[in-house]
Amino acid sequence: MKSKQIKIALRNCGHIDPEDLSDYIARDGYKALSTTLSGSRETVVQTIIKSGLRGRGGGGFPTGKKWELAAAVKGDKKYVICNADEGDPGAFMDRSVLEGDPHSVLEAMAVCGYAIGADEGYIYIRAEYPLAIKRLKIAMAQAKEAGLLGQNILGTGFNFEIGLKYGAGAFVCGEETALIKSMEGNRGEPIMKPPYPAQKGFMGKPTNVNNVETFANIPAIINKGADWFASIGTEGSKGTKVFALAGKVKNVGLVEVPMGTTLRELIFDIGGGIVGGKKFKAAQTGGPSGGCLTEKHLDTPIDYESLKAAGSMMGSGGLIVMDEDNCMPAVAQFYLDFTVEESCGKCVPCREGNKVLYQILNKITHGNGTLEDLKKLKDLSEIIKSTSLCGLGQTAPNPVLSTLNNFYDEYYEHVVEKKCRAKVCRALIKYIIIPDKCVGCGACKRACPAEAISGEIKQKHLIDQDKCIKCGACYQKCKFNAIIIE
Amino acid sequence: MACAIKEKEIKEKVAEICKEFNNDPKELIAILHKSQNHFGFLPKEVQTAIAETIHIPASKVYGVITFYSYFTMEPKGKYPISICMGTACYVKGAEKVLKEFEKQLEIKNGQTTPDGKFSMNTLRCIGACGLAPVIMIGEKVYGSVKPEEVAKIIKEYE
Amino acid sequence: MKQLKNFGEFESLRQELKVKEAENEKKVRIYIAMATCSIASGSAKVLEYFKEEMPKQPVEFVIKPTGCLGLCHSEPTVEVVLPGSGPVVFGKVDTKRAKLIIDEYIKNGKLIDGVIEEN
Repeated sequence: MKSKQIKIALRNCGHIDPEDLSDYIARDGYKALSTTLSGSRETVVQTIIKSGLRGRGGGGFPTGKKWELAAAVKGDKKYVICNADEGDPGAFMDRSVLEGDPHSVLEAMAVCGYAIGADEGYIYIRAEYPLAIKRLKIAMAQAKEAGLLGQNILGTGFNFEIGLKYGAGAFVCGEETALIKSMEGNRGEPIMKPPYPAQKGFMGKPTNVNNVETFANIPAIINKGADWFASIGTEGSKGTKVFALAGKVKNVGLVEVPMGTTLRELIFDIGGGIVGGKKFKAAQTGGPSGGCLTEKHLDTPIDYESLKAAGSMMGSGGLIVMDEDNCMPAVAQFYLDFTVEESCGKCVPCREGNKVLYQILNKITHGNGTLEDLKKLKDLSEIIKSTSLCGLGQTAPNPVLSTLNNFYDEYYEHVVEKKCRAKVCRALIKYIIIPDKCVGCGACKRACPAEAISGEIKQKHLIDQDKCIKCGACYQKCKFNAIIIE
Repeated sequence: MACAIKEKEIKEKVAEICKEFNNDPKELIAILHKSQNHFGFLPKEVQTAIAETIHIPASKVYGVITFYSYFTMEPKGKYPISICMGTACYVKGAEKVLKEFEKQLEIKNGQTTPDGKFSMNTLRCIGACGLAPVIMIGEKVYGSVKPEEVAKIIKEYE
Repeated sequence: MKQLKNFGEFESLRQELKVKEAENEKKVRIYIAMATCSIASGSAKVLEYFKEEMPKQPVEFVIKPTGCLGLCHSEPTVEVVLPGSGPVVFGKVDTKRAKLIIDEYIKNGKLIDGVIEEN
């Protein structure tokens, strides 16, 4: 089968020694910087605009436009920032790029610096990525020694220094204004836009923020041309996107496919389908800000617009596959738990609203929900979406809304029939011993921490449902498959 | 625990760390990273020493520490157990693994055993989703952990 | 690396490295993924093994630690390129399989099980 993957951002990952600058240069490394420095600033910006590249961190803002804005602002000091605060659980493409090809990000940042007129850049990186940090430091030192970063790069008079700033585990810092606050030594609370970072960013100076994958595309675009890049992908979404395939899919890993590839191709052709021959239920894209796509979306081409139309979003590229054993209200609750913990607390809708959403979901997964609650979930979600200050709050209810839309029957079963079909919600399941299969070995009785199982050796055993705490210990111990979950 | 570290020692070390960053309040997060690396956690004494050295209110230091999940004010156990609760690990049953650790160690997530041997916390995602569910004990990564393997893993450290 | 002072110096270095890279293509090339999850799966031992064993073989070779190919499901992965043939990626490599790769594929050109087809 012909490969469906096209590697642009990941072009060097796995093919070069990330700790050896020579390897990178031998594969056209720093050629884009050299080309850039021999031309005008406007040329670079126009090339990126023409390529149609959009931000790979989630929002999808046209990268060239962003550069143009920052370039147009007058100022003696400007900054370039690389957002490497990959906090979206289940996403690890930035880590892979930084660990496998750190120079491509450094080179792109220097190109950006030249384009917008900045002489200083920072990489804001998660402290949880020690290996990526180590390799970046090595790469920075090598590039500087070779005169490809630092003062008077290649004798052109252009200066560009890069430093590292560490994140400390706050998801909201992926939002650019929060990230800048954090870089300045503060709590990473977002601020209202405008002013945009392009006008007033780090240290109050014009700043351009792009994410790792976006930067990794830049050298390839300059080397191969905007037209080449624009020929890949769909009308509104050019180039490729890296996805981190994870969850119940056979081939867990990183893949890079042209925009417009369908979910089916991603999960079944490249991902190898679902583990253990189970049934596909949903794919979550966009992390805690995204939504679930279902069977009916399998043939939707993946690009920024179509994912949005389907009630999800591109996000940074995490793609978690779920099967019939995953309970959708519980999944929504899992994401809300995340958002509640990661909400910075600055604005009320996000701080309080998401907490209430979480409580309602908790009620539902514990078997105490009502139909009224489902309506409340929907209404409150809409309010939080339209009134929160930043992207985190505005997208936090997406997992709730998309599961409600796509899996309403499951919610209905939880609140009306008090059933969890995936058998995840403990309060809604029962452990039962099938008398015909029970040989009376007593293993379950000994395993039960609540003394809920009665029966003599070699006699049929029985679980007292009132005493059962549903820990599943008996289920695990039974060698005769005599215990089932209902 | 905190009082076991001498106050003078704290002040000297903190002054040394802050100086590395030119006593610049804008470098607060970097200072906290370095301090936590050194002391293992960030007790009140360390916080006030930092505040005094770089001339900012202690409330600001406290505010930043509590904002970021990487910083901790509790001492960690000799063997810190981190359970990844990223989405990939979650859908592959990380919660059951977490519950089993809680049961075996008789502590809740976020706590330390009374003998100071084990502490437990959850992580968002360590980016090793291919091995989900993943746990870490110290620097060692365990992949594809099943609840029934938990007791065996703990035994390695007893 | 010495400091590059102008475009000309950069271009000549680039050409020089490209020639070197082309020369490498005449050798057996072994790329070992050394990203976080590769290392967690044991790739450091595999790298060490190749570094120790390859000099004993009668072939010219290059060993490179690299980032990952994104094949998390099969880490540790090792890509081997024999002169004149396409790259072959082996999955779930431990020292035992590393020995097989050397004995069977590198020395005799025979494929072993567990080759990953990238799709």
